[in-house]
Amino acid sequence: MTTVLEARELTRYYDVSQGFLKPAATVKALNGVSFSLQAGKTLAVVGESGCGKSTLARQLTLIEPPTSGSLLLDGVDAAKADRATLKTMRTRVQMVFQNPYASLNPRQKIGDQLAEPLLINTALSAAERQAKVRAMMAKVGLRPEHYYRYPHMFSGGQRQRIAIARAMMLNPRIVIADEPTSALDVSIQAQVLNLFMDLQDEFKTAYVFVSHNLAVVEHVADDVMVMYLGRAVESGSKEQIYSRPLHPYTQALLSATPSIRPEDRHAKIKIVGELPSPLNPPSGCAFHKRCPHAVERCRSEVPPLRPVEGHLVACHRAEEINV
Amino acid sequence: MSLLQIKNLSVEFGSDKNPFRAVEGLDLTVDQGEIVGIVGESGSGKSVTMMAMMGLLEGQGRIVADKLQFDGKNLLTISARERRKIVGKDISMIFQDPMTALNPSFTVGYQIMEVLKLHQGLRGAALKARALELMEMVEIPAAASRLSAYPHQLSGGMSQRVAIAMAIACNPKLLIADEPTTALDVTIQAQIMELLVSLQQSQNMALILITHDLAVVAEVAQRLAVMYAGQVAEMGQVPDIFRHPSHPYTEALLKSIPEHSKGAHRLSTLPGIVPGQYDRPSGCLLSPRCPYVQERCRAERPALTAQRQGAVRCHFPLYDKES
Repeated sequence: MTTVLEARELTRYYDVSQGFLKPAATVKALNGVSFSLQAGKTLAVVGESGCGKSTLARQLTLIEPPTSGSLLLDGVDAAKADRATLKTMRTRVQMVFQNPYASLNPRQKIGDQLAEPLLINTALSAAERQAKVRAMMAKVGLRPEHYYRYPHMFSGGQRQRIAIARAMMLNPRIVIADEPTSALDVSIQAQVLNLFMDLQDEFKTAYVFVSHNLAVVEHVADDVMVMYLGRAVESGSKEQIYSRPLHPYTQALLSATPSIRPEDRHAKIKIVGELPSPLNPPSGCAFHKRCPHAVERCRSEVPPLRPVEGHLVACHRAEEINV
Repeated sequence: MSLLQIKNLSVEFGSDKNPFRAVEGLDLTVDQGEIVGIVGESGSGKSVTMMAMMGLLEGQGRIVADKLQFDGKNLLTISARERRKIVGKDISMIFQDPMTALNPSFTVGYQIMEVLKLHQGLRGAALKARALELMEMVEIPAAASRLSAYPHQLSGGMSQRVAIAMAIACNPKLLIADEPTTALDVTIQAQIMELLVSLQQSQNMALILITHDLAVVAEVAQRLAVMYAGQVAEMGQVPDIFRHPSHPYTEALLKSIPEHSKGAHRLSTLPGIVPGQYDRPSGCLLSPRCPYVQERCRAERPALTAQRQGAVRCHFPLYDKES
């Protein structure tokens, strides 16, 4: 199996103005995240708002460079690549955004929007571009007459299909999907998730699927990485994470997710408080203020991500609390 | 007698010549101390129903009903002056987006106290004490100092707590929660739902929970109404409906949730989208999408007929007493 994407200790800091004459503060939006993604597989990144999952998605699409760490695409380091190489690298990573109402140009016809990646990145003729666009539209379930329509004439689900078609136009190796179904109704969400799965079967595209919805993640993911305040707190295969979560935060997330079937419900773990401000993160383990198992060591020492029972957990007490 | 009785409620928008019926022939009763869930996709009329009842559609929609009665008072014929005495006091509402539900120009303390001044005539120290008590009831940490905070200084979860504090300020008999946790993270969602249910029990309020998340309803509500395109498709006891949905739409909604298809590669979906203003079918509104559709469904609109402890709007309900 080939690794298409590898992140090594990626960090991204942002300077935030605190006001006139005050020194700028630093937000550590992404604080050392590593993972690797295999061709045709799906990595799900899970976490609540402010955990750094969208910052990670932006890093992976090469929209902005990391503060430190490296990102390897098909084994090539993005930081060391020259401009021409970067341009071809960018065609191999595409993105689908959360809000299909904002991610499409309202003044451009669907056909033109879908052809634009081809116009910029390939030497195809206009007729060839149109043929490719029409083929892709058929694959994502859009009708031929939609070619000449504008985004406002479509429903949310259809717009997300258009956004997915646009991401697939250059046959990318990797698609980064940032909360692609959270703006959609459940029945439409199911249609869009099926489309993602079908396209992956056909094109062997690898997905990085960013979501806060654990039920959706359980359906699409092969591997899961749970993030909290800029760091991965637990990562492993989907089966490991869902059947035996080891980090207290993962356990809390799973228990907070409501279920239809009483037998699927987890005992509710009450976690107090909210995500701390990334401007002023707690010392030691970032989760210790909300963690029911926190001890003195958690307040002072940052837990490293280490292997426990075959997956990676960043918790000092992972063994003790999971006997 | 039921606290809230709605019989044959219709809400129309647009011109007389070309009206659009957002809600059509809706029946609903809510008893004291009961949690009723209203579930449906965008555009199914769940919010419009509640806004019609609250009198928030004045000048926009035309409201017709056989009966719209709350606590013995007829909400159809009531004067605006009388209505103002009920709304915000005996019936109150919390909305989806807590950030826009609060006034950004006033402190949260002022906004909570405003309700108490208006409806209960509290002044001075008693007013402040009650506001503080409410902030503590909704579990806002450091409540005393937060009274003078502005909404932008609070997180989404905290703002929603403030909105709940305002809503329960006058011990309402009925609280309407319109997608109260949709904009929030899962761990915060769990906290807010727990808070709502515990307040509902301690105050013996009736709670109408409008949501598109079936799992939330499954966990907290006793009764459920499923809406589709402005009509009630099915209503009944929560365990009955989740175990044996009787309407094909309810069944499809339940099946399209990822949790239902655990282990399956594809999710089960309902093709197509909710009919809009111009493509309403002449027969059953679900007929173009229904997997069980028959000749009669295309020709004739089904009526809501009593079944089990609820009702279903289908010519061929899936759940039969005999089977």
